[in-house]
Amino acid sequence: MYSPYSALLKEEYWGGIPISLFALGAFTFFAGFACYLLILGGRASRGALAFFATVSSSPLLVSAGMFVISVTQLGTICKTCAGIYTASLLLAIGGVWTYLAGRRHSDQDGGGALLPLVWLACLAVVTLIPAVAYAASMPDHTKHLADCGTLAQPIEKHDALVKMRTQLSRQPATLFEDPLCPTCKAFHERLVAEGIFDKLDVQLALFPLDNSCNWMLDRPLHPGACTVSKAVLCAGPEARRVMEWAYEEQAYLLRAGKAGEPTLREVIRQRWGHDMLACIDKNETTVRLNNHLHFAAENSVPVSTPQVYLGKRRICDEDTDIGLRFTLKKLAPELL
Amino acid sequence: MDEEPNLPAWLAPVAATGFAVAILAIVTFSVLAKVSAAEERLLKPEPENKPKVAVAAQAEVAYCTPQFKEVLERVLHSCGLAEGNQRRGCKPADVKTFASISDEDFNALFTPLKERGGVLRFDVGSHELDAAAKQLLEQRWFDRKGARYFFVVARASKTGTPLKNRQLSHRRANSVMFHLNEVAKDPELEKKVGLLWLGNEFAQLSEDYCQWPNSRPGEKCGEEPINRSAFVSWVDCRL
Repeated sequence: MYSPYSALLKEEYWGGIPISLFALGAFTFFAGFACYLLILGGRASRGALAFFATVSSSPLLVSAGMFVISVTQLGTICKTCAGIYTASLLLAIGGVWTYLAGRRHSDQDGGGALLPLVWLACLAVVTLIPAVAYAASMPDHTKHLADCGTLAQPIEKHDALVKMRTQLSRQPATLFEDPLCPTCKAFHERLVAEGIFDKLDVQLALFPLDNSCNWMLDRPLHPGACTVSKAVLCAGPEARRVMEWAYEEQAYLLRAGKAGEPTLREVIRQRWGHDMLACIDKNETTVRLNNHLHFAAENSVPVSTPQVYLGKRRICDEDTDIGLRFTLKKLAPELL
Repeated sequence: MDEEPNLPAWLAPVAATGFAVAILAIVTFSVLAKVSAAEERLLKPEPENKPKVAVAAQAEVAYCTPQFKEVLERVLHSCGLAEGNQRRGCKPADVKTFASISDEDFNALFTPLKERGGVLRFDVGSHELDAAAKQLLEQRWFDRKGARYFFVVARASKTGTPLKNRQLSHRRANSVMFHLNEVAKDPELEKKVGLLWLGNEFAQLSEDYCQWPNSRPGEKCGEEPINRSAFVSWVDCRL
């Protein structure tokens, strides 16, 4: 699962600094402060109790924000996140309970205003230490960005590829995508959401992972992908619209594809009409899709999707995921 | 009310700091260890950890034996396809030279193409493709899939003079090529199609080939009619 909210400084560090590291540091401080209050028992000052009660709710506030993002933006909650949310809740309850229970016994005000400021500074430092250690020890990924190969023949001789140029396009890119591939959908949506897609001068090579047209597979990974790919080709200048429709309706189209070709064709007919089906059935469309697949074969690209080539250079799979912003900052900063 | 133990005032902050530092050390060490392990994997990826991803390539099926590929390669080189130069097609004399195999062995090489290919039949002395032949040719052509090369092996007749047969066979091969030019509209056509035209001196078909998919399945077939033909097929072999 990719989350754009899981890390900070993604353009400076490959993958960014995971925000969970800040949580680790903060919880370490709270463990130490809880130990301090435990040893002091009834002798703990009201100031210390109030400080603990106040700051121990801060992880809960952050967790509440992340929880809302998880549910509304990502539609899922990761296991580590769920653990942190629970720990934050328990810590906040513990902080309030400690204050309420302790203030009855505490008769000391000691420490003045300075001590909470010192504690706050300690909280900040301890929170940062794991993240700083992580950032300082990270290997330099820059020299590995060019390790994943190049397009030997970037021009398709029949001009069969789908061109998606916008007014903002400034970086030539070749994408190998399958309209029924969930990773392609997530990748496309991310590029669009981050404003990168429109800055690419895209030539799209359709690479359906469906053995009804793709001889490189012995079974269909995404049944129906060949037919949907033909629909993209038939859309002409509206190819991006059909591609994005396929991504939006991907689960439905995959179910239709599994149900059989007639079901899938009916879904396409309902959305795009009879002319689209007539175009899908044309020999020219079959040949054009076949040319896309031969383009992949002539360039010996891996049989997987999505694949991204900036100019001729292939972006490694891991660099299209959590390392994307770092990679783009290094290879094509104009896209950010 | 319980009596609090009389602990020294410095104990709580020192113990708490020590406790926090110990946890922090463990956390930091754990982070450093994981980053170090990741760096190790980055610098020295173990082969078993690397996912095995297939690489896209043209089709290669079981009938692509070394012998078949040898003949295929010779045909492509002799017919000027591999280098994409001007020379087009192979005349019977060439075939005899470059194939270096007997008629039966030559024909046997094409046996696995029985279902993939088709026999376009012609009228006596004619090089015109009829509607059924055109339909079969287009059907076979558009069912390319992963193949790289399209073979056309034209024949003339088992009877008649070698020269006349050679010329007729040549015209039949050209008819196929012209029709492909019309329907395929492919600027790379010349680099895909390997043309051979055989006279009656080499690799004539036996009556058994009447069982192969052909453009006149309802008509009477025999050794003479089946050799008035052009065999067409994509070849799913890499070179």
